[in-house]
Amino acid sequence: MGDKPIWEQIGSSFVQHYYQLFDTDRTQLGAIYIDASCLTWEGQQFQGKAAIVEKLSSLPFQKIAHSITAQDHQPTPDSCILSMVVGQLKADDDPIMGFHQMFLLKNINDAWVCTNDMFRLALHNFG
Amino acid sequence: MAEKPIWEQIGAGFVQHYYQQFDSNRVLLADLYTEASCLTWEGLGFQGKNAIMEKLTNLPFQKIQHSITAQDHQPTPDSCVISMVVGQLKVDDDPVMGFHQLFLLKNIDNKWICSNDMFRLALHNFG
Repeated sequence: MGDKPIWEQIGSSFVQHYYQLFDTDRTQLGAIYIDASCLTWEGQQFQGKAAIVEKLSSLPFQKIAHSITAQDHQPTPDSCILSMVVGQLKADDDPIMGFHQMFLLKNINDAWVCTNDMFRLALHNFG
Repeated sequence: MAEKPIWEQIGAGFVQHYYQQFDSNRVLLADLYTEASCLTWEGLGFQGKNAIMEKLTNLPFQKIQHSITAQDHQPTPDSCVISMVVGQLKVDDDPVMGFHQLFLLKNIDNKWICSNDMFRLALHNFG
């Protein structure tokens, strides 16, 4: 059986690391962003590592658990990796909610960083 | 009132055009892809304009209608535009279903084309 393409290995590894960090200690997520990174969180824009980490760290819940339903990865023409995630999350004692998120990963000095990140709760979809 | 940032204008313009074409005559979507484009459709990968168009034109329905719930756009470090769409669609007489889609747009010869496209139905999410 063939190996997965390299972009799929990198993408799925990033995704696993991201949600593991998010669920255990999201203040540590700073390492995956740079000053040029953009986050759009439920329609609001945050520019740069500091603003992004501030937003994520101050999200109003104590506990969170993400569960990934599906993930897709592709290489881009500029040697980046694009990842799209569909899943569910549970924050504190709230009901489970669906979400989707996308990441654009760029290799800078041998580390894959997230330059673009978009998150939306799946509040509007029938399932 | 301030104008929208240019990437938002480009992204929103593309998204509107894409679904308008898809719903009226999806054969015309060929213009939006190149030989280097990748599509992931419900987890299946398609490489290049021809393979992508073959997949899209052979989708098994007569009528389709997309409705966009939310869209987010960002500029990327390599001067591309990334667009994430959440919405609903109705195919023939089937019930309405949620979907999400992601487009990476690249400017080639003064024209914005889609280099990366990922589509998933929102079958796994609570809403």
